[in-house]
Amino acid sequence: MDSTARRGLSGRGAIVGVGRTRMGKMPGTTALGLGLEALSAAIDDAGIDKSEIDGILTHPGTTSREGANHYLRFAEAAGIDPRYAGSKSMGGATAGALVQEAVMAIDAGLATTVACVFGDAALTGGQRFNSPNGDPGLSWGIWGMFGPQANSALGARRHMSLYGTTSEQLGAVSVTFREHAQNNPDAVMFGKPMTLEDHQASRWVVEPFHLLDCCLISDGGVAIIVSSAERARDLAKPPVHIAGMGQGYTARKSEAEDWWYLPHQKAVLDEVWATSGLGPRDIDVAELYDNFTFSVLLWLEHGGFVKRGESGAFVADGNLKMGSTLPTNTHGGSLSDAYMQGWTHIVEGVRQIRGEAGARQVPGAETCLTTGRGMALNTASALVLTK
Amino acid sequence: MTYDKPLPIATDGSGPFWDACKRHELTIQECTACGHRRWPIGPVCTNCLSPEHKWVVLPGTGEVWSWIVYHQSFNQTWAPDVPYNVALVRVDGAHTMISNLVEADLDAIEVGQRVEVVFDDVTAEFAIPKFRPVV
Repeated sequence: MDSTARRGLSGRGAIVGVGRTRMGKMPGTTALGLGLEALSAAIDDAGIDKSEIDGILTHPGTTSREGANHYLRFAEAAGIDPRYAGSKSMGGATAGALVQEAVMAIDAGLATTVACVFGDAALTGGQRFNSPNGDPGLSWGIWGMFGPQANSALGARRHMSLYGTTSEQLGAVSVTFREHAQNNPDAVMFGKPMTLEDHQASRWVVEPFHLLDCCLISDGGVAIIVSSAERARDLAKPPVHIAGMGQGYTARKSEAEDWWYLPHQKAVLDEVWATSGLGPRDIDVAELYDNFTFSVLLWLEHGGFVKRGESGAFVADGNLKMGSTLPTNTHGGSLSDAYMQGWTHIVEGVRQIRGEAGARQVPGAETCLTTGRGMALNTASALVLTK
Repeated sequence: MTYDKPLPIATDGSGPFWDACKRHELTIQECTACGHRRWPIGPVCTNCLSPEHKWVVLPGTGEVWSWIVYHQSFNQTWAPDVPYNVALVRVDGAHTMISNLVEADLDAIEVGQRVEVVFDDVTAEFAIPKFRPVV
């Protein structure tokens, strides 16, 4: 890494409060209500008064109806008149991108305390994860390509063909995160261990993905409160500094023959290493976006934790387990905690850096990489969090 | 004749592509200002933003870039076809295109398998390009 690269706003912002609701199947809940419940929990965690929040950034859930105006309805329902507000829809990359936008707004003097919020009743509220892939004018539904698995499955198949990656190696990711979820009482799969045999025996969904290669669509909400690092020193919890920030996009997907390998993700991780001044060997704990098992393999290769094509063997060797090289998705991830479009990964990173992760605490964790990706592979964001 | 699966929407922009498919020709837009071929169909060149273009006929050959098999239906019109495949094909002289593999033994398919276009005349208005292995 080029250690003289620009550091941007490295270390100028901090996460001062996090909140998450119960997650799973919760009939009667709404995207709006869950987001508000998470906001309340994050305010309590930060030890601040609601009146101190002067920025609202939201990620509309799949069951939110407000579209680009979501922030206005959310702020109305929360009883907050913000100085700075907005909504972003980058799928699983939104959480990281909103935290970055909060840091930018605060550094520019447009706000002092920004709440970033997500809520979704995706499991019970009629989620729309079955839509056709592709462009509206040339829908890939013409060829039967529907649902969120397809793009990742195409990448996984090519990775398997080129590098010998196996379904059992993908299963190792799933089994590892399920083990971690046994230390997280809030996880949907707490108390429900699984084996590699369970993974292999689970039905195909979109081959090469078995059911247990896929995340847990859930109802729930998450909120993250950001302030300046300076102000964070006076608040209730130890500040968690935002040391690295990056985001990236592949829009010209069909014209990029390496689209399946997600070149923008490599760029995003190069960016977080450049802005944080850290590299893969400096990371104590990782919370990597895992809508499908295969996603984790690409993050490891893009982040330089392993070379291209070597991630399958790396995960099968147990390197993501607690007490190993790179403890990853210590909360159980989207595969075994709950799928919250990447939001829970940042919350878990904050708790690890604070040292409040209880039975799943990585001893002495001072650095954490969090990642997110969305919109049928084409957006990505990442953060490096430090003590 | 009833074909209830999603059909293309022929617009001012995409009409020439689907008209060519009816003639069993696979075509692509080529910018007459800079020569770049763009995919998917779009109003301007993705390289130089010029709207000027011509449609060129491709040889219709390519290679399998990747493929997947649906064992679960996400759309009821495709449910009777389960299990069915969706493929990413790198088309010679063009870019990567989503399609289906036909007349193919999926257990024998590898990345890099050579394929050629065939047209499925699904309705009187539309023929859908698909690919079969070149033996």
